[in-house]
Amino acid sequence: MNQGPASQTILVVGGGIAGITAAVEAAETGYDVILLEQSPALGGRVSAFNRYFPKLCHPTCGLEINYQRIRKNPRIKVMTMARVVSLSGQAGNYSVAVKTMPRYVNEKCTACGDCAKATDVEVANDFNFGMDKVNAAYLPHEHAFPPRYVIAPEVIGTDAAEKIREACKYGAIDLDDCEATVDLKVGAVIWATGWKPYDASKITNYSYNLSADIINNLEMERLAAHNGPTGGKILRPSNGEPVKRVALIQCAGSRDTNHLPYCSRICCLGSMKHAVYVREQYADATVDIYYIDIRAHDKLEAFYQRVATDPQINFIKSKPGHIQVEDDGTPVICGEDTLSREIYARSYDLVVLALGMEPNALSDTSASSRDDYGFIVPMPGNDAGISSAGVAGGPLDVSMSVQSATAAALSAIQAVRTAASLPAQGGSVNE
Amino acid sequence: MTASLPENSHKYDLGFARWVYKNINGADKLSMCMQCGTCSGSCPIGSDMDNGPRKLFMMIRAGMKEEVFNSDTLWNCTSCYRCTVRCPRGIPVTYIVQGLAAKATHLGYATEQDAARFAKSFWWSLTHFGRTDERLVTAKYYFSFGLVKGIKKSLENLKIAFGMVMKGRMHLGPPHKVSANKDLRAILAKAQEIEAREQQGGAES
Ligand SMILES: Cc1cc2nc3c(=O)[nH]c(=O)nc-3n(C[C@H](O)[C@H](O)[C@H](O)COP(=O)(O)OP(=O)(O)OC[C@H]3O[C@@H](n4cnc5c(N)ncnc54)[C@H](O)[C@@H]3O)c2cc1C
Ligand code: SF4
Ligand code: SF4
Repeated sequence: MNQGPASQTILVVGGGIAGITAAVEAAETGYDVILLEQSPALGGRVSAFNRYFPKLCHPTCGLEINYQRIRKNPRIKVMTMARVVSLSGQAGNYSVAVKTMPRYVNEKCTACGDCAKATDVEVANDFNFGMDKVNAAYLPHEHAFPPRYVIAPEVIGTDAAEKIREACKYGAIDLDDCEATVDLKVGAVIWATGWKPYDASKITNYSYNLSADIINNLEMERLAAHNGPTGGKILRPSNGEPVKRVALIQCAGSRDTNHLPYCSRICCLGSMKHAVYVREQYADATVDIYYIDIRAHDKLEAFYQRVATDPQINFIKSKPGHIQVEDDGTPVICGEDTLSREIYARSYDLVVLALGMEPNALSDTSASSRDDYGFIVPMPGNDAGISSAGVAGGPLDVSMSVQSATAAALSAIQAVRTAASLPAQGGSVNE
Repeated sequence: MTASLPENSHKYDLGFARWVYKNINGADKLSMCMQCGTCSGSCPIGSDMDNGPRKLFMMIRAGMKEEVFNSDTLWNCTSCYRCTVRCPRGIPVTYIVQGLAAKATHLGYATEQDAARFAKSFWWSLTHFGRTDERLVTAKYYFSFGLVKGIKKSLENLKIAFGMVMKGRMHLGPPHKVSANKDLRAILAKAQEIEAREQQGGAES
């Protein structure tokens, strides 16, 4: 098929914690790496968390050090706003077509922010799931890496864009920037494309679309974060009032043959973290966690034990049947307490659906095998040059994602070395 | 330290659960139940049931045959199918509850509950006329409690009955019948024959 000198370059698709780790590990071992990220900044889901377990540290803890490793390592080339369009070949010899979207800001940007002062035009803030707005010339978030501004495509061709361009004294604004396709030659590919939350509107009995006070667990992270839409105060989205009664509903869309049949493994711990967020902010608030059974895996059991000692956090063994929404928008959770057999209907100020993790769809590739649930898993007989890292391969937490990324970096290295040593590939033996 | 085993207050009889799995339509899936409570919590009359489907299914596993067949849950089900639609394990809850009700009748349980009496009156009207006749179903139900109670209950509800007549919700005169009443009876007779044959095949252990 496509022969030619074997490539030793490793392509990592997806710049979340898993992709970043795989890229850094492979590069520090001495291999050239291209790290592709579809959004304007690296970090993935972790960068949008308020804090993360087990130690409840800020996302910058784990990410910042990795950004430094990337900065210091000339072997890593980061491409943002880029997606794989097609992929062909085999280990040692892949041809990859990559499409890049215009950012309208080039590498001369110093992130001084003068462009953002040039216009009042605002667009929906994706980083906060559209819960607030952001200036049309924006930094994706305060810790964005690369620290480079983006111009919203909505303003291109308007006066606002001209003003933005004129405001930049470094000549970093390039309004003629456009979509482009780049062809890459690589020896191995690591899919680290991560996950998206299950679509809450499909769980019709939980009324997500019917009340502003029914939110999902990612929105909860943003509500609690200091750089979120409320400046870190957990408030009722409907009226901006403090919350007193909060409910967290586990397995919203997971472990359910009508939705995701598997356990997403992280959301129990995610919700316990959310209970802590609420209790840290409100001495008088109560948090009810509705669950089928609590899954706090391995050493994270200790976190569960700690949370369970708070008398204002109640664990209620019940998968609610439905959420009714009163005329004024108040959510009322209805179900059966399976320990007492009480049939309850309880109203809350805020209900958080603990949505599960669904693998991101990759319409742009055919060369990877997926399990029944859509996670990318290497199967026997598959091309050795393709592997997966992080949640692209299954529902994992950050530490497990990082472990799987190191494993993926190793199998990618093995694949390019094996390919290079095969005479048929025309490459030289590299020992 | 030797911990003593707790005394078993109930003797488990897995034979009953296996019998249910085999003999009730849809119950082969029952072993998938994870006791989440969605079914009972979704039921529009969940608080009017003594056990609700979730607990009933646990009782089946626990071998509580008498309690299961005498449970009013079998008769209070309105066939709304909410539980079946929402069950995260794909268990046809409604079928199982109704299948248990039918079995309870065949095995001679369910003679006392209100809902069972009503269901039987309803069935009587259906098999005789192919339709429900409000007056006759109600009368049959009331008088199943005995003559004195029957008269008492009838008098108590006379006002409602009168209101229904005035609104055209209850008619006077001979009961409505389906035109092919003879055919209907033949169909039902055949169905009962098939059911009896199957009963023999899967007689209770
Ligand atoms: C509510 C909630 C709370 C959580 N809290 C914690 C916690 O406290 N601690 C913890 O350890 N774990 C937590 N997790 C789990 C954690 O989110 C994951 O372990 C982590 O995000 C995995 O990182 P990843 O790199 O595999 O995927 P992601 O974070 O999803 O990153 C994937 C990256 O790939 C990019 N991408 C996707 N598709 C493409 C494509 N086609 N081309 C290019 N780029 C693409 C995305 O833009 C993204 O940047 C939580 C999960 C949930 C649901
Ligand atoms: S981790 Fe908990 S909430 Fe998430 S799917 Fe598993 S059991 Fe349900
Ligand atoms: S909804 Fe299904 S799994 Fe849950 S308790 Fe009822 S029958 Fe069992």
